[in-house]
Order: sequence, then structure tokens, then C-alpha cells
Amino acid sequence: MSKSIPESGYKATFNNISAAILLIDIDAPSYTILDVNDAYLTATNSTREALVGKSVFGAFPANPSDEEAKNIKMTIFSFEEAIQTKTTHTMSDYRYDIPIRGTDEFEERYWTTSNTPVLDEYEKVSYLIHSPANVTELIKLREKEIASVEAIKNHRQQLYSTFMQAPVGIAILRGAEYVVDLINPTLCEIYTRTVEEMLGKSIFDVLVHIRGQGFDRLLDDVRLTGVPFKGQAYPATLLRNGKLETVYFDFVYEPYREIDGTISGVIAVATEVTEQVTAKQLIEEAEERARLAVDAVGLGTYDLNLETGEMITTKIFANIFGFDEPVPRADYVSVFHADDRELRTAAHAEAEVSGRLFYEARVIWPDKSVHWARIEGKVYYDAALKPIRILGTLLDITAQKQAKEDQQKLMALIAESEELLRNITTAAPTGLWMSDEQGNITYVNQTWVDWTGLCYEENLADGWLNSIVREDREKAMEKFHNDLANRTVYEVEFRINHTDGTKHWCVATGKPQYRHDGTFSGYIGSCVDITEQKNLQQQKDDFIGIASHELKTPVTSIKAYTQVLERMLLKKGETKEAGMIGRMDGQLNRLTSLIGDLLDVTKINSGKLQFNDRDFEFNDLVKELVEDLQRTTEKHTLIEHFFPTGIVFGDKERIGQVITNLITNAIKYSPQADRIIIHTGIKNNEVNLCIEDFGIGIEEDKLNKVFEQFYRVSGDMQHTFPGLGLGLYISSEIIKREGGRIWVTSKHGVGSTFCFALPLKYKTKVQQSKFME
Amino acid sequence: MVADDDPGILDAVCIMLEFEGYNVYCTPNGAEVLNMDSNLPDLLLLDIWMSGIDGRDICKQLKQNPNTKKLPVVLISASRDIERSALAAGADDFLAKPFDINDLLNKIERHLAN
Repeated sequence: MSKSIPESGYKATFNNISAAILLIDIDAPSYTILDVNDAYLTATNSTREALVGKSVFGAFPANPSDEEAKNIKMTIFSFEEAIQTKTTHTMSDYRYDIPIRGTDEFEERYWTTSNTPVLDEYEKVSYLIHSPANVTELIKLREKEIASVEAIKNHRQQLYSTFMQAPVGIAILRGAEYVVDLINPTLCEIYTRTVEEMLGKSIFDVLVHIRGQGFDRLLDDVRLTGVPFKGQAYPATLLRNGKLETVYFDFVYEPYREIDGTISGVIAVATEVTEQVTAKQLIEEAEERARLAVDAVGLGTYDLNLETGEMITTKIFANIFGFDEPVPRADYVSVFHADDRELRTAAHAEAEVSGRLFYEARVIWPDKSVHWARIEGKVYYDAALKPIRILGTLLDITAQKQAKEDQQKLMALIAESEELLRNITTAAPTGLWMSDEQGNITYVNQTWVDWTGLCYEENLADGWLNSIVREDREKAMEKFHNDLANRTVYEVEFRINHTDGTKHWCVATGKPQYRHDGTFSGYIGSCVDITEQKNLQQQKDDFIGIASHELKTPVTSIKAYTQVLERMLLKKGETKEAGMIGRMDGQLNRLTSLIGDLLDVTKINSGKLQFNDRDFEFNDLVKELVEDLQRTTEKHTLIEHFFPTGIVFGDKERIGQVITNLITNAIKYSPQADRIIIHTGIKNNEVNLCIEDFGIGIEEDKLNKVFEQFYRVSGDMQHTFPGLGLGLYISSEIIKREGGRIWVTSKHGVGSTFCFALPLKYKTKVQQSKFME
Repeated sequence: MVADDDPGILDAVCIMLEFEGYNVYCTPNGAEVLNMDSNLPDLLLLDIWMSGIDGRDICKQLKQNPNTKKLPVVLISASRDIERSALAAGADDFLAKPFDINDLLNKIERHLAN
């Protein structure tokens, strides 16, 4: 038999049960407390006396926190439910504060209460077992839990918000495939994708090009080892905007830990620093270039700390000062030339004020050589405007200084020699000029400027022509350009309008000039004022003109007397006397001829030789003259060797003069011979005449001089042959003026043949003959 | 009629012509002929350069005057080059000094014959 528990035992059990229990009568509405166990008393801070026999609601006053007396209603409801259903009814988690003993305060309490009906033998509810469980802790805990969950949720929300708005790229990559669990717009922008494109996919699937660049390995390392990775200016090739670009990142890979501490992925935080990297690269390149440039130019650079006196210098800097390697500042200062120290100090003082250092000074090298250096620098100031630093450059300008000195010396020398040249050219009473290859005048000297009254510039190029008298201008210009084209010596006479108001005659001459390489460079020439000479010449010509005119007058009357006398004597039969008078007449003719020559020469020289051109039969003229001249010589026989010629248009008298001159010469210069042959004919549509003599001949080197003015046979023969030496000159001028040519062939001691050719107007009836073939 | 301001020439020429049988009137003043309305010579030998008077002008005047234009005028000058202007002045002929007597006589004969 098992032990049976006595009723008192149940009572003891009832009091010892740890759960708080109230036994309540079902006498609504008071619901009197029938019994209460110890646990209940402890839980509610009350006594048996206070509770038993009292209404449950009386024992427990309304909770001040329960304004609507909800709890009371609920309690009643629970009681009634239990009674009704005859099953336990539970009220869960309701608040019913209890008074704190000894005070007016209440303590926060939460209860879960069950009301269990106890049935009597009649199956009717007799009383309720009211068991409140103090769930305050639980409730509190739950509240805390809820609050913390809420807090966590908020926290998460905040975090997410921050995350999504962060200016740095953030992503959470989960799993071995690094699926993008979370990614913020910043990072998406860097990748040029949208959030939608990236979420939920493996990052390597979206950014295809990333694979194989080593990032997968970095991620694995972080995920597997838990050691974060930090990358700075880390390059990556991304496909952005259709192109593959190299992008630089500062980024961090952190292991993403689950609650249980396992690493399920990686948190990546990244910023794109491409711009900075590029900028840095550009700066570096620029610095490098600057350094190269500085080195190339030979610039030394320095960085002087004004506060400490420390100076950082480059090797080149040191070299310029004469040192092999950089040395302390004091050493540099010591090699400055003593005379330049003050300059240097002044420059530094100036620099502190102006912000710019600049001076040039001499330094003395260990080998005692003196070098010039140019020092430049920029002064840097602190916030208080105190100079603290100078950065600058140094250049060895010895060569430049030397060059400048040399140049100055040279300039001085040049100036001196220019001065000398100017003095020489001015002192010369001759105009001097220079031209270029095209014939533009490039230089005239002061004399020419003084003569013409045009200033230097006005004379250049073609300007010089303006000084020339208009009538002479064309001839001068033509002659110059012809000679220039042929690169021959240039000579021409012209008149200029001189500043003294009169016209001056000048003879301009020029010689072609060549450069060292042989190319033609122009002309150098002079202009000589020949006005005096021309005037004298003119005076002389005038005089001779007048003189010959004057001479003709008495000769005319003498001739008249002589001729009449001759006739008278002949009439009287005094032939001998008549003959003498006749010979006198002949001499008068000679005299007349000489006077005529003088006059002709002056006319030729002053350009006043006039012709009365008309048609005449050439051979007729020659025949007539030959007949006349034959009478003057008994010794010589004038042989006619005529071929038909024709009509010539010219001055019959003058051409006759030429023929006479040639025949007379032939007679004169062949005293030992007995004949002279006169040839006429046509050749190349010209009338030709040749006088062939067998006399003394002319030496070869004199052949081209015979037609010059005043040319006479010289040597011991000088006095044997009379004549003024004008005949051939005049003949030559006449023939030339009539459009013909005159020439001579001769052999010294054998004879000479003088010929001229004149344009044929038309032939005589007889056809072209073979002339002197 | 012979007019020339040089006495030597005038004298010689006049003697010469007289010797040849001509009736000669000689004067140094050629302008005289302009005042001769009647009693004109049959031929005039006129020097161009006479002091103050140009023979060509006299010739021109003679030739312009219907009374005298038929008078043959031979102009004489020391300068051959004047021939053209002499003939342009209306002269019938021209002779250069110093002239040959034959030339002179030929010309006189020719012009008197007209």
C-alpha cells in the first residue's frame, strides 16, 4: 500500500507550492478569497489576515496604471469563463502594479494568471484556483527584446541608409562566388552599372573583365584568412562606356563575419582615385620634364631655407660655382668675386621686398678663372609675411657675357670703319653707288645725295633716275639695264638736275660684282662730275666752230681772188703764172678741207652733224671723185674696179667726203707705190666700196685705233705724213650715222684696204654681181 | 647783185664776175634790195649772215612780194648745213663758202637762163 497523504498534508503542500495560489469563491461580484498560500503572500507583499475573507478586488486596489479598470474587467471575465467552461482560463501578460510596502508607490508587475475551477461532487464549480504567475521579468525581458530588435532594426535601417548614401563605394559580397548582397550607388556608378544589374549576381559575372586581374585571389585571401586587405592606387581594367579603361582604386576588403564568427563573404569599400593618380602621373611627368629641361639648359637649381640657412642644390648648381658636388651655402658665398658681394647683398635685400631675386655676379673657380653667373629666385613667405624660403635657378652666363663683350667690341669696330667709309665716300668728290642683281640701287654716297638733292632713300631702286635730266633718262636707264644683263662694264654720260640749279654732266661707270661663290651680286660704280670738262669741251667746240667759220671768210675771198687771177692770167696767155695761181688754188682747197674737218669734228662731238639725205647713184659719185682726185696725183694710177651697184639714200656730199678721204689717205700713205685700186659692188644687199693701196700698211695692234679721233701714224714716221688725224674719225662717224660699217684690213709694209658698206636702196638695172670673191 | 658784209669777199666776187662779163652791183647791205621796186637785178647773190640781218629773211620777203618773187636768189653761207633752211626760205639755190668760181658761174648761168 502506498502512502496516502492526509488532508493536512494537502494543506501543507498547498502552502509550500512555489506557485502563488489564491482560492476564490465564485460569489460574484465580490469573489471572496477563501484561502491564500505562502507563495502568494510573498509575491504580493501581503498577509493572510489582509486577504482571507475579503473580495479579491478589495484586497487589491485598482492599479493606478490601469485607468480603465481593464484589469478588473478582465479578471471578472476570466473568472466567469472558468466557471462557464469549467476549464482553466488563463489571462496572459497583463499589468497589475502592486503597492510597495510602507510607501504610496506602486511597483510595476506583470502577471499571467490562470483560473482553474474546482468541481464538487455534483460537477458544479465550487471555487476557483487563482494562480497568478509573476511574469514581470519575462515581460520586461520580452519588452527589452522587442526594443532591442526594434533598435537593431532602426540601426540596420540607419546603417543601410548611410551605406547607400555613402560617398565611398561599398559592397557586401557573399560566398565563394562573391555574390553581391549589397551594393551602394556610389560603387555602382564607378562600375557604370545600376544597382539592379549588380544585386544578387556574382560580381565577376557582372564585371566580366575583373576576372583574371587578381581580385578573385585577394577576395579569397580575405575571406579565407580573415586578414583584411588594403589597396592604394590599385589599378583595375574596367569596361566603361564601351571602352576598356584603366581605373585606380583606394580600397579595403574586410571579412564579413556571421554571428557565429564564420566568414561568409567580404565587405569591400572603395574609392576611385583615377583622377588623382593621373594627376599625380602628370605632375611627375611634368616634374621630370622640368628636370630634364633644367639639366639640358644647364640650369642649376636651389632651395634655400632662409630660417636655417640650409641650402639644397643640384650638381649642376655646384658645378657652376666651380665645385664638383653640392656644398653648404657658406662655401658658395665664399667664391663670389669681392667686387660683386655688395651687389649680391643688395639684390637679396631687394628680393625680400619684391619677392623676386635677380642678379648677375662673378664667381671665382678653384683654378682662378672668373665665371659669370645669373641667379634668379622666387621668395616664399609665411603667414606673417616673413620670407622663409627662396627657390630658384642659376645659369652660367660667362659665354654670353663674353659674347656680348666681343659683340660690343665688334660693333665699335664696325661703327668705326663705317664712319671711316662714310668719311671716305663723302670726301671723294665722286658719287658712289651700288646696285643689286636686278639693277635696283642699294647704296648711294653722301656726295650723290648732295648733288641731286634727293635724300638717301629716294635714290634707291629706280629713284636715282629722277635726278637725271628727262632727255637723257631713257638712254641712261637702257644702257644700264643692257650692261647689267650682259654683266659688262657700264659707262654712260648724262646730265643731272644739280641742287645748284644748273644741269651737270656726269659720266657714270660701273663694274659687275661677284660673291665668293661666284654668283653675280650687282654693280659697284661711280659718277664723276664732268661738267667742267664738258663745258670746256663745249667752249672748245664752240671756239673751233667759230674759228673755222671765221677762217672760211678770208679763205673765201682769197680763193675768189685766186681764181679770178688765174683766169685773167690765162686770158693774158701767161700760162706759167696761171699755173702757179692754180696750184695756189689747190692749196686753198686743202686749207678749206682742213678747216672743214675741224668743223666736222666739233659737230660730231656736240652731236650736231646733220645730213641732207637723198637718193643718188653710187657708182656715178665714185667715178666723179676718182676723176677729180686722179688729177691730184701723177704718181699713182687710180684703177677703177667697178661692179654695178645702185641707188643709195644718203648725204651725197658727206659720203663723197668719205670716199675722198679714203683715196687721199691711200695716196698719202703709199708714196712708194704707183697704183690704188677702187672697188665697188654689192654684197648682202649692201653697197660696198674698198680702196686698196700698196703703201706702208698699219700694224696689227693699231688696226682698231685708226678710226679714233686724233689717231695719227706715230713713231719716226710722225712728221712725214701730214694731216690732222681727223679724216678717218670723221669718215667713220659719217658712215656709221648713215647706217653703214667701215673697216680696214692691212699688213704692215704691204698695204691697206679700207672698206665701207652702206644700205642699198635699190639696184641698178644690171643684176647682182660677184663682188670681190 | 651781190650782197655780202665781208669786204674781202664782196670785192673779190665782184671783180670775178665783172671779169666774166657780168654787170655787177655790189653792196654790203643786202636789205637794199627790198627797197628796189624798179631796177631789180636779174639775179641776187645774197650772204646769209650779214651783221644784224639774216639773208633768209630777205629772201622770204622777196619771194612773198609779187613784184620780186620772180627774182632768182642764190644764198651763200659758210655753213653747208644751212642749205636746207636756205632752200626752205625760198632760195633758188645755195652755195657754200668757200666756193669754186666754176660752181658759182654755173649756177648764175643756169638761173639767169630761166
